[in-house]
Amino acid sequence: MLVTVELFGIPRMRAGVAKTTAEGACLGEVLDSLARQFPALAEDCIDGHCLRPGYTVNLRGERFVTDPKTPIADGDTLLLLTLDAGG
Amino acid sequence: MMPKKNEPTPGYHGCYLRVDLSGNTSQRISLSESMLREYLGGSGLGVALLLAEETAIADPLSAEAAIAFVFSPLVGSPLTTSAKFAVVSKSPLTGRINDSLASSGFALAGKRTGHDALVLVGRATAPSILVIDDEQMRLEPAGELWGMTNSEAQRRVRERLGLDFQVATIGPAGERLVRFATISHDGRHAGRGGSGAVLGAKNIKAIAVRGSQQCGWADPTGLAQFAKQLSEKTFGPATAKYRELGTASNLLVFNRLNVLPTRNFQQGTFSGANRLSPEQLGTARERTRTSCAACTIGCEHIYSLGTKNGKKSDGVRLEYENLFALGPLCEVDDPDVVLKSSQRCDELGIDTISAGGTIAFAMECAERGYLDAPWLRFGEGPALLRALEEIGTGTGIGPQLAQGSRRLALELGHDTIDFAPQVKGLELPGYDPRGLQTMALGFAVGPRGADHNRSGAYEVDFSEAVDRRNVGPEAAALAIETEDRAALMDSLILCKFLRGVFADFFSEAAEMLQLVTGWEVSADELRTTAQRIVTAKKRFNILAGWTPAEDTLPKRMLHQPIADDPQAKLSPEQLQKLVTAYNIARGWSPEGWLPEP
Repeated sequence: MLVTVELFGIPRMRAGVAKTTAEGACLGEVLDSLARQFPALAEDCIDGHCLRPGYTVNLRGERFVTDPKTPIADGDTLLLLTLDAGG
Repeated sequence: MMPKKNEPTPGYHGCYLRVDLSGNTSQRISLSESMLREYLGGSGLGVALLLAEETAIADPLSAEAAIAFVFSPLVGSPLTTSAKFAVVSKSPLTGRINDSLASSGFALAGKRTGHDALVLVGRATAPSILVIDDEQMRLEPAGELWGMTNSEAQRRVRERLGLDFQVATIGPAGERLVRFATISHDGRHAGRGGSGAVLGAKNIKAIAVRGSQQCGWADPTGLAQFAKQLSEKTFGPATAKYRELGTASNLLVFNRLNVLPTRNFQQGTFSGANRLSPEQLGTARERTRTSCAACTIGCEHIYSLGTKNGKKSDGVRLEYENLFALGPLCEVDDPDVVLKSSQRCDELGIDTISAGGTIAFAMECAERGYLDAPWLRFGEGPALLRALEEIGTGTGIGPQLAQGSRRLALELGHDTIDFAPQVKGLELPGYDPRGLQTMALGFAVGPRGADHNRSGAYEVDFSEAVDRRNVGPEAAALAIETEDRAALMDSLILCKFLRGVFADFFSEAAEMLQLVTGWEVSADELRTTAQRIVTAKKRFNILAGWTPAEDTLPKRMLHQPIADDPQAKLSPEQLQKLVTAYNIARGWSPEGWLPEP
C-alpha cells in the first residue's frame, strides 16, 4: 500500500519535508517506513512501529489513530503531527 | 512535617493584603489553613476571596468590586514555570467570573511582600500607582503616566521607584475602560476578560511590588530533587513543540483539519495560512526565543518586524491565538500587519483574541451594511490597524468596538447576535467548535465564557476517544477531566505547557504540594479540590445572574456547517445533550444549577 504522509510541526522539522510517501498495510508499517526514510523521525517521533509519546496521526483529515494495527488503505493520506494542540 | 502552631504553612504567608483605594488604607487579613488547603492559590483562592467580598453582585467597574492578584504556594520555589500569578475579578466583558494568569517577576516580588494575595477595593481619587513595599502600602500620583503604553509606563515607574520593583500596568485601553483591556507585566499579559478595565476604573495605572519576605518549604531537599527532575523533563520531546516552533505551529495543523476560524468563523481554512506560519516566518525574519522567569521551557518566540537583511526593529512575541485572531479571523495574510497588530495590542493593553474577534465581527457587519464603516473590510491590513488604534484611543468607531462583539451586536440589532463570535460575551479562541465538538462543550459551559485555557477539551478531540465531528455525551466526562486539571494547574499555579511531561498529573501535583507545604495530600484530594474550585466559579456566576440559556454557542455554529467541511456541523439539540451530560456528570441539576448545600 502506498500512502501519502503530510508532516506538521516537529515531524516536519525533523524530516525536512512537508509531504512524502510511505508504504504499509497498517499504521505501524507506515511509521516504520517513515523512520527508515527519515532517521531523525526515529529519534524523536517514531519508535519502531509505534508513535512516541506526544505525537499522533490523523487519517484522511478525519479521525485520529495511534494503534499500530490500524489498517491503512492504498492511497490514504496520513497527517503526522504533535499531539499537543494548546496555545 | 506540619508547621508549628501560629506559623504559616510552608509555601504560604498565611495572609493577604486588602487595600482600600478610596481610603488609602490597607489591612493584613489572615487566611486559615483550611481555606488555603481547599482553594490552594491562584484562580482557586482568588474566586474564594471574591465570593467573600460579594463581588459577584457588584458592577465590575464600580468602586465596590474587588480585584485580586493572587500568588500560589509554588511561587518562589525551584519548580519550573511556577513564577505565575492570577488576576481574578468580575469581568466587565461578560459579567461573570474572570481569572487571567500572567508570569514572571511580578509573581516573585509580589509574594515576597509577605502576602499570598493582594485584594483591591474602592477607587483612588486620581490616577495612581499602587506601591506595595514589603508590608507597607502607599499611593503615588500617576498623572504623567496616564496615556502611556504598557512598556513605557513600566519603564518610567521603575525609573522612579527603583529597578528592584516589579511593575504591572494597564495601557491606554484600560484607562478608557475597554471591556477587553489587559494587565501587563514584562511582556506577559493577564489578557482575557477585561481585568485592565477593572483596574482602570479604580484609577490605578500601575502596581509596583517589592519585598524581602521568603516562605519556607516543608522539605527543601526533596523539593529541590523533584524540581531538578521536573526541569530535566522539560528539555525532552514533550515540550519540543513549544521550544522549537511555539504555539503558532498550530496554524497549519488547524488549517489542514478545517478548524482554523477564518472570516469571522465563515470558513475553516485560510488561503494565506502558509504565509503566516512560523515555519515560513522563521525563514523570512529573525527569530529569537525567551522565557518567563523560573521557566525552563522557553516557549516565547520573538519575531523581528523587519526582514533579516532589513533594518533592525523591535521584536514581537507571536502565539497561535494572536496569530489566528489578527490573521485568518480578519482574513489578513500580511505577516507584517499581523505582527504590528499584535505589538499594538500589547502596547495599548488589549486582549488579542477579543480584539480580533470583535473586529472580524465588525468587518462582517460593515460588509452587510449594519455598521457605518465602509473602510472596515476583511483582508484589509490597514483597516485592522486603524480599528485597533481607534479601540485604544477611543476615536472613530473605537468606543463601539471597545464593548466587545456581544454588546456591539445588541447595539446594531438585525441578526448580528447570531454571528457575534462569543459565549457569555467572551470572544472564541482559535478552535472552530463545529469541527472540535468536545471543545464546543468546553466553550459552552466555560465559567468565563469561550475559553481554551480553562478547558482543554480540544485534547479529547485530538485523540481516538471521540469522533471530533460527531461527539456524543460520553465526551462530557473527558471534558470535565481537562477542566479539572486546568483548575488545579491554575491554582497551584503551573504553566499548562508542562502538562505533557507528567505521567499522572494529579499524583505528581500531590507530591510537589506535599514537598512544599507538608500537607499529606493525595491525588484524590486534589481532584476534589479542583471540583470545588470549578463549583466556586459556578457559584459566583449564579450569584452574578447566570442562567442555563447562556451555556450555548452562537447560532452560526449551531445552524451552519463549516463552509469548507460540510461534515463539521453541530445542532442545538446535540450541544444541549452534551451540556446536560456535563451538568449531570458534575453532580449538578441537568440544567446546571448547583445542589442545595
